[in-house]
Amino acid sequence: MQLAQRIKLLRREFDRLTIIQVIIAFSILIFFLLVPIFSMLVSAFIHEGSFTFKHFEDIASDKEMIKIPPKGTWIKVEERYKFRILPNGSRVLVTERILAIGVEGPDFGYILNTIFVAVVVTIFTSILGLVAAFIMARYDFPGKMLFRVVLLIPMLATPFVNAYVLGRVLGPYGLLNYIFFDTLHIIPYRIIISGLPAVILIQTLSYFPIVYLNTLSAIINIDPSLEEQAENLGAKGFKLFRTVTLPLALPGLMAGATIVFIFSMEDLGAPIGLSGAFGEGLYTKLISFKIYDEFRKASQLGQVHPTTYALAVILLLLAATAFLGIKKYVTLKQYAMLSKGGRWSPRVRRPKIKGLIAIYAFLIPLVIISAYPQIGVVLLAFTDWGISGLPYPTKFTTEYLYSLISKSEVLRSIMNSMMYAGSAVLLIVLVGTSAAYVVARRRIPGRDFLDALSTIPIAVPGIIVAVGYLVFFSVVFSETLLDPFINPGLLLIFTYTVRRLPFTVRAVFAGLQQTHVSLEEASLNLGASRTVTFFRIVLPLISANIIGGAILSFVYSMSEVSTSITLSNLNPAQGPITFEMSQLIYASAAVGTVSIAAALGVLLMTLQIIAITVSNYILKQRVAFLGV
Amino acid sequence: MVTVTLKNITKRFGEVIAADRITLKIEHGEFFTFLGPSGCGKTTTLRIIAGLEYPDEGEIYFDDENVTELPPYKRNTGMVFQNYALWPHMTVFDNIAYGLKIRGVPKEEIRRKVLEVLELVKLRGLENRYPTQLSGGQQQRVALARALVIEPRVLLLDEPLSNLDAKLRIEMREEIKRLQKKLGITAIYVTHDQEEAMVISDRIAVMNQGRIMQVGEPREVYRRPQNLFVASFLGRCTILKGIVHSIKEDMVTVLHGDHKITGVIPARDIKVKIDEEVAIILRPEDFYIEKPNKPSNEFNGIIDWISFTGPYTELRIKIGKTAILANVSSDLVLKRGEKITVYIPYINTIILPLREAGEVAYSREFRI
Repeated sequence: MQLAQRIKLLRREFDRLTIIQVIIAFSILIFFLLVPIFSMLVSAFIHEGSFTFKHFEDIASDKEMIKIPPKGTWIKVEERYKFRILPNGSRVLVTERILAIGVEGPDFGYILNTIFVAVVVTIFTSILGLVAAFIMARYDFPGKMLFRVVLLIPMLATPFVNAYVLGRVLGPYGLLNYIFFDTLHIIPYRIIISGLPAVILIQTLSYFPIVYLNTLSAIINIDPSLEEQAENLGAKGFKLFRTVTLPLALPGLMAGATIVFIFSMEDLGAPIGLSGAFGEGLYTKLISFKIYDEFRKASQLGQVHPTTYALAVILLLLAATAFLGIKKYVTLKQYAMLSKGGRWSPRVRRPKIKGLIAIYAFLIPLVIISAYPQIGVVLLAFTDWGISGLPYPTKFTTEYLYSLISKSEVLRSIMNSMMYAGSAVLLIVLVGTSAAYVVARRRIPGRDFLDALSTIPIAVPGIIVAVGYLVFFSVVFSETLLDPFINPGLLLIFTYTVRRLPFTVRAVFAGLQQTHVSLEEASLNLGASRTVTFFRIVLPLISANIIGGAILSFVYSMSEVSTSITLSNLNPAQGPITFEMSQLIYASAAVGTVSIAAALGVLLMTLQIIAITVSNYILKQRVAFLGV
Repeated sequence: MVTVTLKNITKRFGEVIAADRITLKIEHGEFFTFLGPSGCGKTTTLRIIAGLEYPDEGEIYFDDENVTELPPYKRNTGMVFQNYALWPHMTVFDNIAYGLKIRGVPKEEIRRKVLEVLELVKLRGLENRYPTQLSGGQQQRVALARALVIEPRVLLLDEPLSNLDAKLRIEMREEIKRLQKKLGITAIYVTHDQEEAMVISDRIAVMNQGRIMQVGEPREVYRRPQNLFVASFLGRCTILKGIVHSIKEDMVTVLHGDHKITGVIPARDIKVKIDEEVAIILRPEDFYIEKPNKPSNEFNGIIDWISFTGPYTELRIKIGKTAILANVSSDLVLKRGEKITVYIPYINTIILPLREAGEVAYSREFRI
């Protein structure tokens, strides 16, 4: 009886529409996300056809992977001889004191470096993000609207070029030294920031807005009466913040911090950008770069070293640990979208003069420093800064912008990106709408699994997806359309689909939650089947959410880095924009190539600004746009 | 026009039983209401009839056709939802025409029928508006028109008036009743408002905790409640406990302390025995302050509390350790602490056995 009833129940839930939707959603997610990652996991434990821990033992015994104690010192002061050109044209030999931070060390080995950088960046971004969020949520001061916009500039993804710009600024002959050492003589040393500290700096500056946005939304969503009640009971100042505000904002803070942790571990922008600015350095001793490098070699060797799989497994474990660690505070769902804030009249104060000075002293340097990379990208793209050989640009030019259409490889990469992102968005809309509808409306076994599967890509480092695709498709689909050595472009469509799916799924899901079920029931009641109801009632009602989500999915497919620049190595002709940028920065030595990459960066930034504005308008809510 | 038969309908949501062996026959052309507190299972029962939920056990028949397993879109019922469920992306015309379009009715006929039904609900001229441009009452009429235009076998209404203000609610309930009688359609209505149920219905099923407590015409369930739940849910009442002293034909005399109270058993199939503990149900509006010329119980007490409500004055009269509620004319000027004698006819004094009453139903009665 029990069983018979269950079967009857399932038969009712699985109408034709549901069956099709379930098949679409699961087939894409299983085939293009789960199976590749699973193959990678398996490959990491196989050596010559049998189960083994060999690859992990190899890693553990490799001095380059884990170095304890670390090699090198943080700070080194040295004297260098240098020719100085005098105004009359003659050259004299002078000694110069150099303060080198991170150039020679520390080096904990690939694995520990990755963890070290991720942890430090997470802590730094959390502090900056929390302070910025608190100021923006609770104080009203002149210029606030401007800061609100400017604080988001670092989120505009201009991969590699932003790191390159910071490299140029921080380098021995960069802007900082030019101003403070060469011109003003304020500092006694020529300062060089390189290695892990440079990576930490770059990542902190580009990722703190993620924490800031998530925390801001959490603070704004705190019911003011909760704080007022605490004040009524005598709590004020820091005590109020520590006992009421912070605990209530913690889910947002944790959500942001976790994303930063994962983004930091999979980041390729900083190591590649810094390599472009300085050449070889310790900033490349990171797991993500190591895997990237394996892909570069694979284009010649036709395969990657098996320890790569093991490294990817370690990266996946680290990301999973980060997630499980904060599961108590937040659910996956909260990551892709922030709720609209400000339902209550906000508790905003006007600070006194002292407070105002403190706020400006914090915010002004923060926005200047953190927006500098994006400003620098624009400068690189529109001036001769990239080739002037000076710390500053000397003339305006549209040459690089023009090269976007005049240079065939660059134009090809733009076309490729458009095609991949465009095709991916079609799939994303199909899969995302199906998954969101099944999760929101059907009571079927596997629903929670589908829910998790469609949001989890946010937590999976892209580089792992890339390794998984290489393992799975190059073996199982060798010499076919889906072979990554033949058609990495086709596979990129699918990596974009799964990686950028959560934007659309969450947007559609939010739309369905706002749409009362009775609207569908009324249609069923009037004689329309579920399929007809879906197309005539549901789709029109959630079309805004689909479009809004799809726009975000599209633009973040265009700026996707990790799978794009790894898989494309296997057939560079099919590389998208970000791959072309990485080549221009890292692999190409020709003069002016960096500026062409910057022009591509400007193109990406423009697309992002348009997309975010349009989708915010359509979705009528602030969406945390997590690029990279 | 159809007869709706429910046989042993049972529906569970996890641990909660929303419908517990519901068996009913709703006659064609009848206006039938499920009445009960929130969570009693009345909406679930309606949704089961519509096919929006499926029962765990039991069967539903429309006339002789077993529709238990039929999906909602094949049942041809017209439902009016509590929130109206008008589609915001369609005009009034398109909302109403939807069901006809699905049925493949020719365009010209759709137009004629929609305009006809708009006339019926007095909304002619608003067909090109969007739902958000309508008032609550107008939206209600559109929802009604949308359900009626398909000429459903049965009209289902799920608390359709609960979102309207008090005045409009009274207007609309008369209109719904008028339309139903005019079209001669079988209507099943769900509400938690007892007055609404009494005004609008041919018959009422009072529900509690998934079970039907009593089915009958409004006067019957109000004047002759067959259990404590129905007695207390409909209108106000005082419930006293007592021991059966004597039974003479359909009259029962009960000892409440040393006070003898005589009353009637509301239905033939309810039996009480001598010495059994029973409940005495007294409606406040049945009391007289002058002895009526029919056999009556007499209560002497002290006025403990006076509530002036406008149409009448409600008194709480203390009699020994217990208290009763009695309504008197609002013309009377009375004072707290004053002595008073009130009378209630035997035929208005309802005696019910206590043994069938659940604890829950019983305990809520003593909040006098």
